[in-house]
Amino acid sequence: MTATMGTPQDTGPLVRGEVPVAGGERAARPRRYRPLISYGRWWWALPAILMVLVIHYLATAGGALYAFTDWTGIGDFDLVGLDNFRRIFEDPTMIGALENTLFLAFGFLVLTNVVGLALALALNRTLKTRYLLRVLFFTPVVLSPLAVSYVWKFIFDFRGPLNTVIGWVGLEPRVWLADPDLALWCVLVVMAWQTTGMVMVIYLAGLATVSPEVEEAAALDGAGTWQRFRYVTVPSIRPSIAIASTLMLIQGLRVFDQVMALTGGGPAGATETLATQVYKETFALSNFGFGAALALLLTLIMLVFSVLQQAATRDRN
Amino acid sequence: MFRYTRATAVREGVVWCVALLTLLPFYFLVATALKPDDELLSTSTSAPPSHPTLSNFTEVLTAGGDNNILLALLNSVIITVGSIAGLVAFGSLAAYVLARTTARWGTITFYLFLIAILLPTQLGLVPLYIGARQVGLVGSLGGMIVLYVGSLMPLAVFLYAGFFRGLPRDYEEAAALDGASPGRVFVQVVLPLMAPATGTVAILTGLIVWNDFFSALIFLGGSDNQTLPVSMYYYVGSLVSAWNKVFAIVIISMVPILAFYLFAQKKFIQGFAGGIK
Amino acid sequence: MTLQSPRGFRRIGTLVVIPAVSALALTGCGGGDDGGSGGGSADGFTFAFENASGGQENPWVKLVEKYTEETGVDVETNALPPDSFGLTMRTQLQGGNAPDLMMFSPGSGQENSAIPLAEAGYLEPLGDTSAGLVPAGSEALFGIDGTVYAQPTSLIPVGITWNSGAAAEAGVDAPTDFDSLIDSCGTLADEGKSAFVIAGAVPPNPGLMTMAISATRVYAETPDWNEQRAAGDVTFADSQGWKDTLQTVVDLTEAGCFQQGAAGGGFDAITQGITQGTSLGAFLPGSSANELMNATPGLELEIEAFPPAAGGEPYMLASSNYALSINAKADDGAKQAAQAFLDWMAEPDNAKTFTDIQGGVPITGPGDDLNPVYAPVAELLEAGDYAPLPNQGWPNPGVYDALASGVQGLVGGQGDVQSVLESVDQAWDQ
Repeated sequence: MTATMGTPQDTGPLVRGEVPVAGGERAARPRRYRPLISYGRWWWALPAILMVLVIHYLATAGGALYAFTDWTGIGDFDLVGLDNFRRIFEDPTMIGALENTLFLAFGFLVLTNVVGLALALALNRTLKTRYLLRVLFFTPVVLSPLAVSYVWKFIFDFRGPLNTVIGWVGLEPRVWLADPDLALWCVLVVMAWQTTGMVMVIYLAGLATVSPEVEEAAALDGAGTWQRFRYVTVPSIRPSIAIASTLMLIQGLRVFDQVMALTGGGPAGATETLATQVYKETFALSNFGFGAALALLLTLIMLVFSVLQQAATRDRN
Repeated sequence: MFRYTRATAVREGVVWCVALLTLLPFYFLVATALKPDDELLSTSTSAPPSHPTLSNFTEVLTAGGDNNILLALLNSVIITVGSIAGLVAFGSLAAYVLARTTARWGTITFYLFLIAILLPTQLGLVPLYIGARQVGLVGSLGGMIVLYVGSLMPLAVFLYAGFFRGLPRDYEEAAALDGASPGRVFVQVVLPLMAPATGTVAILTGLIVWNDFFSALIFLGGSDNQTLPVSMYYYVGSLVSAWNKVFAIVIISMVPILAFYLFAQKKFIQGFAGGIK
Repeated sequence: MTLQSPRGFRRIGTLVVIPAVSALALTGCGGGDDGGSGGGSADGFTFAFENASGGQENPWVKLVEKYTEETGVDVETNALPPDSFGLTMRTQLQGGNAPDLMMFSPGSGQENSAIPLAEAGYLEPLGDTSAGLVPAGSEALFGIDGTVYAQPTSLIPVGITWNSGAAAEAGVDAPTDFDSLIDSCGTLADEGKSAFVIAGAVPPNPGLMTMAISATRVYAETPDWNEQRAAGDVTFADSQGWKDTLQTVVDLTEAGCFQQGAAGGGFDAITQGITQGTSLGAFLPGSSANELMNATPGLELEIEAFPPAAGGEPYMLASSNYALSINAKADDGAKQAAQAFLDWMAEPDNAKTFTDIQGGVPITGPGDDLNPVYAPVAELLEAGDYAPLPNQGWPNPGVYDALASGVQGLVGGQGDVQSVLESVDQAWDQ
């Protein structure tokens, strides 16, 4: 859990689509069925269970407890009820961070899915160099967000290549990452640049399940490109759409590395997100209680979106 | 219908243009890293180096003490390999038992793992840090491996469980009827069969561990055991204005993972697409 | 071989961040040798400090080496990154495995401040030697109710780090009054230069600039402004001095006193601007001037005070930005050994040694051998016309964070003076 924070490789939430399958399969089996043969021993699972209990559940429960205190990291603390949460919603910085988080999450969701699907459609079948292109587009996914952010920080620098390029067409140089109107978009671009390849691969896997015969038949029936896409392709890749969108939404909600490395939340809080605020309140300002309340809020938001997504997927099934 | 037509050629050309644009940041990365100090300030940031030099790389690689990038590389390798080993060992065992058991606790435990995937990091981080500090796991390679193994265990169990469910029981049943103990069945029958799932688990979790910056910064920052991203972060901070040296470090940090990716690209892409099916 | 020159710049980044929230802003610094913690032997002790630079260049390391050489006492150093220093010390103190001697910031306005730890009972009361070093009027930054818990180390003046060589070339005098400074900004901008270079992308730098300006606008007239604020007699938003301070920032911005793209500048902009002479001044702690000069042969720097508003008196900031405290739970032997080290540091000769390494002013006061970079402000220092860094006296790190990030916005043309000051008040009252 700790390790997965903010990394684009985080495939954690992709399991959502799988839950009902797992449950359904299990429920179908007779309850008291005892096999003649035993497959493994129950205690084989013990180390994994213990680690998850301590590192995920115990730690999270501890964190949730702090959310209702005014602990500053040293000495005693008092229970303050919902005060921390009241403070979050009264603080314009926190409201701004919440808005930025939602903007980045949904912007990221839309951008990566649209571009990723477009690339997947373009690369699907026929192109001679499609395997090479697939490898190239996927490359940024394997790199560390920190290293990628250094490169983009240079590109966005006032003396950097981007200003040189826009200078060629006669535009004034901008302070990209220090401009309150542009900085959030810059962060979004970097996030999308690094992750679109992953979405593309998810869609390519989905498109591989579309049968060429059906598409051909639709074409013979006189369906145009758009109609074929709408009525043949889209229904077949629904699972991919569900998974790619959930994955991107959750990953967008927890964005941290790119913001920290590119802007540090600036200028004047214009790119702060919930995750960077959690870090800042907890580690830089030592407001442990308040930081935990923010983290709890972020957790709740992510759970709500996961459940909504779950409901949407179930409807389609 | 799926023939290579003129339109397809145009499409191929367009996609290549998009690809080159996407890869443009790598050009700046390499061009800048090859520039000597004086050229860095005197030439345009987008121009290629007129006198390319490798001195940035030698300087960065030979830096000693706290900025020893090679030591950080070694730490990263140890932590990544150790974490993968732990995840494969404990994850496959747990997932196997959970996938095969019919007892009710199996279902409950499986959901325990699933929900854990959803819990975000931030909430548990401080208690985890304090706990790890108390038992002396902060700043050590072993502690970091335990942390990563625990953190990514739900993902590993999930991936393995999906694989074991799709694996027919025939071989295991045959071996068991021949009188093999469950341990023997696992080692001699299941273990050889689960290689593809292990590949997926190793690539997905290994990549997360290798690239992780945040928890490595909190748990290893300032120790002798810094990983590559943490070491890079501090070294870059100390280099204030020298983009050419910063990018030399960035390239050095990218080379191992890129080489591995290009070597096993099919497996990587399948891992991402396959973990999802 | 260029090995040395970029490394010389190493500490600049963190020196600027020192009076700041050390958020992750790509301004970090070298890691350290983790010497383990707790339980020094009877004749030695363990010592943890923020490591601004890569290993050997750290002034604490050098000082400890000298101490060991002189006394034979074994000191185990533990250099930690600033990003997590405060957190590490807090958890170690609570876990009972903290080092015997620790470096903190005075007061309570920073993440690594000493006073909250002293209040919680984690720090050992120090003796009269330490008390004797505390600057008059700053008692509340180093102790509680007359008991001293943190020993000041050296005085670090904060003003303008001024490239006098480049200024002479450009025909600009060191700024002594504000109006002529504003005038020269336009002239310099026409030549493609700038009066100041700031790291607008990193809030602590505009924050430090604001504090340097507040010396003349707020603290010269009302040295006890922080106490008045704590008592609730004044607020930032209602204070003419603070309004003037922030208005000065706006004026500087509008007059083009900062380099092009200032709002997006990092510390690289500062080192480049100052060492190449394209900008004449930067807002840095005084000790970084020596670093820059050592790294760049031929560079001539001096420390100037920020000019007062018309009719105002010159005034500046200077304070001990680091203080040393002893762990209350350390073994008695280790406590004594750490105390012996503090006493050794308090001796004028050794205080001087430390400032020679570090580039500050001896805590025992400026003497005849004051570092030449401080010549322009020698009179102010000798007359005691300076206040400590204001944020040391603020109640929590959020106050300075609100100010620094608000001013970052002002430099980028975002927000207004009044709303920034209101947000600072809000952070104070939390």
